[in-house]
Amino acid sequence: MKASRGSLKVKGVAKSFALPQGDLRVLERIDLEVGPGEFVALVGKSGCGKSTLLRLIGGLEAATEGEILLREKRITGPGLERGMVFQEPRLFPWMTTRENIAFGLRDSTEKREAGETVEKYLALVGLAGFGDAYPHQLSGGMQQRAALARALVSRPEVLLLDEPFGALDALTRIQMQLEIQRIWRESRGTVLLVTHDIDEAVFLGDRVAVMSEGPGTLRKIIPVPLSRPRDRSSASFVKIRKKIYNEFFNSSRKIKGV
Amino acid sequence: MPSPGNNRRFPFFNRLVLPLIVPALILLVWQVLSDRGFLRPSILPSPLAVTRTFQGMAASGDLFSQLKVSLIRVFEGFGIGAALGTLLGLAMGLSPRLDRALTLMTGLLRPIPTIAWIPVLILWMGIDEGSKVTVIAVGAFWPVLLSALQGVRGTDPKYLEVARILEKGRWEALIRVVLPSALPSLFTGLRVGLGIAWASVVGAELIAASSGIGYMIMYAREVSQPDVMLVGIVSIGLTGLLMDFLVVQLERRLLKWNQAGKESQA
Ligand SMILES: Nc1ncnc2c1ncn2[C@@H]1O[C@H](COP(=O)(O)OP(=O)(O)O)[C@@H](O)[C@H]1O
Ligand SMILES: [Mg+2]
Repeated sequence: MKASRGSLKVKGVAKSFALPQGDLRVLERIDLEVGPGEFVALVGKSGCGKSTLLRLIGGLEAATEGEILLREKRITGPGLERGMVFQEPRLFPWMTTRENIAFGLRDSTEKREAGETVEKYLALVGLAGFGDAYPHQLSGGMQQRAALARALVSRPEVLLLDEPFGALDALTRIQMQLEIQRIWRESRGTVLLVTHDIDEAVFLGDRVAVMSEGPGTLRKIIPVPLSRPRDRSSASFVKIRKKIYNEFFNSSRKIKGV
Repeated sequence: MPSPGNNRRFPFFNRLVLPLIVPALILLVWQVLSDRGFLRPSILPSPLAVTRTFQGMAASGDLFSQLKVSLIRVFEGFGIGAALGTLLGLAMGLSPRLDRALTLMTGLLRPIPTIAWIPVLILWMGIDEGSKVTVIAVGAFWPVLLSALQGVRGTDPKYLEVARILEKGRWEALIRVVLPSALPSLFTGLRVGLGIAWASVVGAELIAASSGIGYMIMYAREVSQPDVMLVGIVSIGLTGLLMDFLVVQLERRLLKWNQAGKESQA
């Protein structure tokens, strides 16, 4: 039983949204298995359905067809065993960093334990001195760290990240990539990261899932058999990056050539 | 004394000196016109004469006892109106059905000026304290209702989604997400409501009052004491200013987290 902690299966999932002008098919025949402790990066063009897939796994939306299993159990709604971080930090402006992170705890958590856990996660994301700060007093990168701590504090089996670094500047972003990698290695949870940055996907992922659009399908899953920490300028890194790059190039040429 | 330039002094000037210039000029012109005999003291006494009356009435305690009566009425009326406005506004914001059910009713009642209620309230409630307090309550009710409603409706659905993901129940989402997010808007309504409540005290004291600042002004007119009338009017203004100042201070304390937005707007 313990071995399957964090094992995620997406089986034949499709999603349509009902719009006034008819149904909009956003996802089609998605099959994806993510093993316990695995880091999978999901890349695709804007609008191809990445966020929708993540929201389905998060339980915020219901699949039109197919099912999603966590530890072989069907997902029917949101749950603390799946942590989620969005592109915007979504911290509550009326709570301090500490209160925001504590909001991620289970309601039943005992008070003293809650306090200790929050301090631990404050430190883990490098915000030890900022527990009493309000979100507007933090930089964008710091806000995103706090959001990460809020998602982690209940020790989820699966961490769902929807372009969490998308709004950050290039340098902060690279720093956050290093930190998410460190945190992932310490917590050994399963991570599903949505990004439109191929470099980021290859740097972080055990595998990179490439999505194509209209409606969104999983085009290909590319393994990244490189040891960590990874060197972005190494030949093997560049080769994999190019391979993914070509996936997009080929798919767009095909569509144009029709 | 080395100072980092004049920039430092500008906030002081802008905050404390600039707002005083216009009132000072008006008082000066008014005084000069009175001294030259352009203004009849029986119609408009000079600022100095009004100040002397003010000092006299303040020293005798007359002014403050009248103000106190009015303030008690306002706090009672505001308390009732604001409490009902908050509760109903939150309820309407949370329940689209209740909102739909009441929208025609509130739309119809809201444009009725507070003064229009006075004769009706006299008929229903008589001429004692009750009807005066009710007039004030009606004045405070509407802005508070609307701002509470708007505050709840304006809750960012993204925040509610976070509460869902973190498995928070409805009650906790309401207390920890919806209400705090509605608070800045509600506070604006409370501030406006208190202003209206105070401003309607004179109207309320039209109802056969025998005390209060509004009564004092009207009585002074009957006995031809224009200086006392002006003292009353100025006192209403000053008290209103002070109340507003206190509410803003309270808001600063309670809504510390919201200050960043406020300052950048200013
Ligand atoms: N709630 C919704 N209702 C209708 N259409 C939606 C909804 N959510 C997403 N979509 C549509 O689904 C498509 C995929 O959106 P999304 O998953 O956000 O893409 P991505 O995250 O890859 O940019 C878009 O065309 C978007 O307009
Ligand atoms: Mg997206």
